[in-house]
Amino acid sequence: MLHPKSSDPSTNIRLRIRLGANFPYLMGNIRIFGILLLLVIAFGIVAPGFLTVVSAQSILVSTALFLLLALGETMVIISGGIDLSIGSMLALSGMISGVVMSHFYHTGQGIMLSVIGLAVALAVGLCGGMINGIVIAKLRLNPLIVTLGTMGIFLGIAELISNGLPIANFPPFLFAVGNNGFGLPWLLWMTIVTVIVYGIVLSWTRFGRYVYAYGASNDSVIRAGVNTAMHTTWLYGLAGLGAGLAGYLSTAHFETASPVAGSQYLLVAVAAAVIGGTTLQGGEGSIGGTVIGALIISVLENGFVIMGLASFWQLVAVGAMVIVAVFFNDIQRRRKITAVGRTSPAGEN
Amino acid sequence: MDNGAVLRIEDVNKSYAGIRALQNVSARFGPGLTAIIGDNGAGKSTFMKILSGVTLPDTGSLFLNDHLIHIASPFAARKLGIESLYQDLALADTLNVYANMFLGRELVRRVLGIPFLDERQMARLATETLDQVRINIPSVHTMVRSLSGGQRQAVALARAIHFKASVLLLDEPTAALGPKETDSFNQIIMAVVREGKTVIMVTHNIPQMMEMADRVIIMRAGQIVAQTDPKDTSQEEIMAFMVGSRRAV
Repeated sequence: MLHPKSSDPSTNIRLRIRLGANFPYLMGNIRIFGILLLLVIAFGIVAPGFLTVVSAQSILVSTALFLLLALGETMVIISGGIDLSIGSMLALSGMISGVVMSHFYHTGQGIMLSVIGLAVALAVGLCGGMINGIVIAKLRLNPLIVTLGTMGIFLGIAELISNGLPIANFPPFLFAVGNNGFGLPWLLWMTIVTVIVYGIVLSWTRFGRYVYAYGASNDSVIRAGVNTAMHTTWLYGLAGLGAGLAGYLSTAHFETASPVAGSQYLLVAVAAAVIGGTTLQGGEGSIGGTVIGALIISVLENGFVIMGLASFWQLVAVGAMVIVAVFFNDIQRRRKITAVGRTSPAGEN
Repeated sequence: MDNGAVLRIEDVNKSYAGIRALQNVSARFGPGLTAIIGDNGAGKSTFMKILSGVTLPDTGSLFLNDHLIHIASPFAARKLGIESLYQDLALADTLNVYANMFLGRELVRRVLGIPFLDERQMARLATETLDQVRINIPSVHTMVRSLSGGQRQAVALARAIHFKASVLLLDEPTAALGPKETDSFNQIIMAVVREGKTVIMVTHNIPQMMEMADRVIIMRAGQIVAQTDPKDTSQEEIMAFMVGSRRAV
């Protein structure tokens, strides 16, 4: 009778343990990082001005806002769900936060008011996401339908609050958050911290483990005694929280709160997750992959702008990338399944 | 796994939409392997669902080591030390072996008060458990979807063993396995039984049951129609009880 291999931690095992849930996606992430590098080199050759600090900063800033949406969306998709409301949530949280800051701002830097505005945006995003989660978990409704509904509801409320018009008159400190910083804009620092926090939650906590398990087999999680209703509520809450932060930073960066602020971000947020290796079947994906996926989208968009191509080509390119990514993800998944030696008995190998 | 417990059920009844799935069922399960056999609709699955907390009986009582118990959910059953091996195994394919074994009961270590998964410890303990019951898995870091059917069964079984189940419920555990895998899996089960554990197994495979079980319970139409030692009976007699050409004893 054969025995399991030794538990002595070889380098490979140590790497697996350190990377936690990220390990199975390491090779995939290296591959898509290679694609990102190729794109950067290609645009650097064909588009003079692409490989500059200004261009790089522009790419990073334009990535940050939809990446914040993509982080939560990645978790939701890994769990086997989808959240179509995050774009509207960005608009709603940015709008409510903006209304509060605009209403109370009179003079000065408005540091405290900007902090309160951040808290309001995060609270709105978290509550909106948790409402999605509660409805999905308690009423056992399809996430696609629920979030399609709340997408309209959140957008409608944002429009109602502002009569469909953008608002301004914010504290100067808010603009500093969105556009100034230390080496990088504060907006980017906040995004980097959020990426790290979401990455840790997904890879090294029980919460993250249940996200993967629920996407792979919800029965396995239910029978393991996990409170799935609570988990789903917090999962969608986290997606909302990211959207809330994105709403606040969007207001800070563009110096205006608009009810249509997040309308263009839903597609790219889902696209970033999918290009980054998150499978729509659930159970697979990583925050690292999503970050690379988001950068690929931004590089494409920025490169096209510098090359002077019409903006609709960006949409075409992103859409095509998504289809190609889904195709390759599916091929890879099928290969893994067909490569399985499903005839090997328990005691033999 | 702790030494086998004594699980006793008394006068259990269960109906679904007016159809009586179980009628006044009483049985006692002690250490060793008890096989439950019966035709489709005999009530075997309902019986196992009640023991594993998936469904509640309409009337009747359950006792574990002479203590009255209430198994309201699969989680409650696990807390009582009653572990189930489901036909579909309830494994998460995209997680590795030890993540599946510890699912819902993950070990954590606190860093600055924040509980992080203790991957190293879980991997070590999973390896030890698999080693202890002589289950061969390439590595506990292998994704479950990369395992064979038999290996997946073994992982699900190792999960039950690791958490010291006092009663192990197996619902047709080898139904989806080939002959070699079935043989290997049965060897593992028998090793568990030899340690004096209480194992209850639903099966359709009468020859297998005759070879492995210490005791057999035959069910028909929601009732227990016979309980015997396989050594004291024959396959023909068991078949006769199953189809109703022999009366209940």
